Amino acid sequence: MKHARTMKSYLDLVPISAKVSRHQSLLTRLCIVLAVFLVSCIFSMADMQVRTEINQSISQDGSWHAVFRGLTKEQAALITARPEIAQAGRYEVTNYRLDMDYTISGKNTAICGLDETFLQFYPALSIEEGHFPSGNVQAMVTASAREQLNLSVGDPITLDTPQGSLTFTISGFTSDTSSMLRGDAFGLLLDIDTYRSYFSDVTLAADMELYVQFVPFCRIQRVIRDICVQFDLEDSSVGQNAKLLGLMLQSGDDYMMQLYITALLLAVLVILAGIFMISGSLSSSVARRTQFFGVLRCLGATRRQAARFVRAEALYWCRTAIPMGLALSVFTVWILCAFLRLMTPSLYQQMPVFGVSIAGLASGALIGLITVLLSVGAPARKAASVSPLAAVSGNAGTLHPVRKAACTSRRRVQTALGIHHASAGRKTFLLLSASFAFSIILFLSFGTMVDFMHHALTPLQPYTPDVSVVSPDNTCSISPALASELSSKPYVRRAFARSFSYGLPAHSEEGDASLNLISYEQYQFGWAEDSLIEGSLDAAIEGQGVLVEADGEHSLSAGDRITIDTELGSYEAAVAGVLSYTPFSREPGVWTVICSEDLFYRLTGEENYTILDIQLDRFATEENVEELRSMAAGCTFSDRRMSNSEGRGAYLSFSLFVYGFLAVIALIAVFNIMNSIHMSVSARVQEYGAMRAIGMSIRQLIEMVAAETSVYLLTGMLLGCGVGLPLHYLLYSSLITSKWGTPWHLPVSSLLLICLVMVLAAVLAVIGPARRIRHLSIVATIADQ
Amino acid sequence: MKLLEAEHVTKIYGTGEARVEALKDVSFFLQKGEFAAVVGESGSGKSTLLNCIGGLDTPTSGSIRLNGSDLFAMKEHERTVFRRQNIGFIFQSFHLIPELNVEQNIIFPLLLDYQKPDLSRVEELLQVLGLHDRRFHLPSQLSGGQQQRVAIGRALIMRPMLVLADEPTGNLDSRSSEEVMELLIRASRHYQQTILMITHNTNLAASADRVLQVSDGFLKDLGGVRP
Repeated sequence: MKHARTMKSYLDLVPISAKVSRHQSLLTRLCIVLAVFLVSCIFSMADMQVRTEINQSISQDGSWHAVFRGLTKEQAALITARPEIAQAGRYEVTNYRLDMDYTISGKNTAICGLDETFLQFYPALSIEEGHFPSGNVQAMVTASAREQLNLSVGDPITLDTPQGSLTFTISGFTSDTSSMLRGDAFGLLLDIDTYRSYFSDVTLAADMELYVQFVPFCRIQRVIRDICVQFDLEDSSVGQNAKLLGLMLQSGDDYMMQLYITALLLAVLVILAGIFMISGSLSSSVARRTQFFGVLRCLGATRRQAARFVRAEALYWCRTAIPMGLALSVFTVWILCAFLRLMTPSLYQQMPVFGVSIAGLASGALIGLITVLLSVGAPARKAASVSPLAAVSGNAGTLHPVRKAACTSRRRVQTALGIHHASAGRKTFLLLSASFAFSIILFLSFGTMVDFMHHALTPLQPYTPDVSVVSPDNTCSISPALASELSSKPYVRRAFARSFSYGLPAHSEEGDASLNLISYEQYQFGWAEDSLIEGSLDAAIEGQGVLVEADGEHSLSAGDRITIDTELGSYEAAVAGVLSYTPFSREPGVWTVICSEDLFYRLTGEENYTILDIQLDRFATEENVEELRSMAAGCTFSDRRMSNSEGRGAYLSFSLFVYGFLAVIALIAVFNIMNSIHMSVSARVQEYGAMRAIGMSIRQLIEMVAAETSVYLLTGMLLGCGVGLPLHYLLYSSLITSKWGTPWHLPVSSLLLICLVMVLAAVLAVIGPARRIRHLSIVATIADQ
Repeated sequence: MKLLEAEHVTKIYGTGEARVEALKDVSFFLQKGEFAAVVGESGSGKSTLLNCIGGLDTPTSGSIRLNGSDLFAMKEHERTVFRRQNIGFIFQSFHLIPELNVEQNIIFPLLLDYQKPDLSRVEELLQVLGLHDRRFHLPSQLSGGQQQRVAIGRALIMRPMLVLADEPTGNLDSRSSEEVMELLIRASRHYQQTILMITHNTNLAASADRVLQVSDGFLKDLGGVRP
């Protein structure tokens, strides 16, 4: 048989009391769990996001911190020797822009000279096979050259330059970069000294660079300023890896400072939300047990002992609630990370499966504990001031000291009582309304990050190709037969071609102009529909008219006429529609005009295409791409798969985190509202029992709870909009308007969404207690008193 | 005329070893206008009997009819409305609504029934209860005796056929107890109401027309104490 443990202190009553009133203490603990979960989860997610962004930034842009250009050898050596520099690597390049006549087997080639340490700054530029070149006859080439020219380590390779041919021995192969693949070019990498011996004369000063990485915890901006002063460098001679430094909180950029302030503001909001949730629950937990504290005082507890009891009780709850909140947040972050790894394994392979954010957990635990300790002060004072008489007097409910009677003359009595229940305890009312309001404030504030994401990151458009076959020199040299042959491959999901005719003279009512005429087929017309702001596509599709891009250069509208002069004569075309956007660059003053393939042929006599964009099936292999490449021999073959994957990954990870934040906030809003109403009902259950005994029906009782909930909800919504909208304006202005100039707009959809979530949560919050009220035993609740 | 009829009422709590038979085959009736007291030791089943009669608790078996209507043949909502309109409750712990003032507490059952309070009746009750000066006070601003008078007013406002009082003076001093009892008897005579009151106090029981004793779940009619 189990014996009860002997009590050594009156505080040993805390766990016993918690066990007896398990249901009520469970609600308070749940509140602490939710608050800790909110803080810890959001901070952990933010930490994970920063880590992911750092990984992405390093894989895309490298792990270097700063780059100095145009240095002499001595200056470079002096900078490298500084104690703040952890690692430095020289890098020089010729034909980086692929506009010079350097080729390997006729393919454009960029030539780089670098120190071996430089490779460590670029994980994407890893040595796949062989070793770094040594001596002045060895060179590394990019992997695409190995595949396309069937090369191996030790083979000779000849580089054709304007000055003549140079032959090297291949020492190894490096991975391809997205820019090389997109430009359909090879890369040739040489040891820096070898490079200088051949190319120092043709290298631009701006392309002679020293990349550096600083030691940890170094004040990077100050060191960069020092170096600039010491070597008399101009600002244009120094570059920074802005994204990486920004993520390391080391950026000195004004916009980054604004981002830091925004992050700080959001962090403060999250902390405040946690504080309000915990304070509200502790306050009502003590208030509903006035009689219990009265009994304690009756039995001889001093005021100080009563207050100490409340504190000990709060800490007792923390013992289980804080670890639970933390565990929940860890679990949520694991799910998120697993999802990321599953979606884009190439980008997130470095992310640990069971990653834990120490910063997130520490902030959750600390904020939970500190908030509980701070919030418990007022309830402790309240408990200390309970009169021993409270234990023996017996009105229905001694929840709040009532100062003013409910107004029953204008409303139904149950509605009046519900409203009074919500608004009578001023402090609880404010705390609960504020915690409801915080859902809106947080949702609106974090919602600005969605707008930020849409501005800062461009998702892949439906028309983004995986590979493109481009005619050399912008001519129309891809025959329909080739296009058809390429599109017929089973691994090609979709192919769409365009013909270009540049700089055609044209006249309209606005005078003479020059235009680029571009042909579209059915897919491209379909995508153009989204940007159609005037007129219709039909006439253009049928070859009866053209589409023009609204670019500020002209004020053409649907129905206007343009005369286009081509080698075949003049043609008067009707403007069928105006597009807000087309994905083509153009010279200033030149219009972009879209027509059907048929009309293009009638105007120019040209049947061939300039470019063929191909979207591949998701199961397409490297061999398939190589097959396409060989079929398109003679044309430039631009492989965008890597840059698409980088862009898609960046967008996906950011959107997942942003929507993850919003989902957590919405979830917290639902739980918080449900828990608050549940607590309020639990606190008044005896009063409800008395009301039922007097003759209040279940329906009337539920109406009363619904009225109380509505008051919290409405005041919460008003307060949330009152504070949230100005805050949204502030954040939007600082994050978006200042950078992209987009003016602030009322976030109608976000506001409606969170309000809808709150209303649904309120309905759910009433359903739970309603079920409880239905099963309420009048006799048992009255007898409890 | 029989107002209340209880027939073979039993009430069992729990099962197995925890089984407690709180009421054992209780049968009795009360005439209209009768004032009956229920006496018995603590835990004898007095409150269980009162709760069953008032429709707050459901008997395990047997029937309770008020003015011919079987309380437990009704659906829950129907029974609540019936209780509200026909049975007045007075509790030892008053159970006033802290958010309502004296007058609002008294008219509370009327408001629940969506009835417009008859002001003259409210005035009359306040006068009878001696609460006219305190009509706008909150319960927390009243003494125990005054609070119980409010509870009596609330029990009488609907002119119920039956008033059930569970130790109405249990929380009061002797002077307040006398006042409350005098008021209860005066009001019930005045409004021709039937009263069933639980008490431990033999002096109070002596003021009733009839005394019923509950002992170990059994009811015994001790008969009238007054001619």
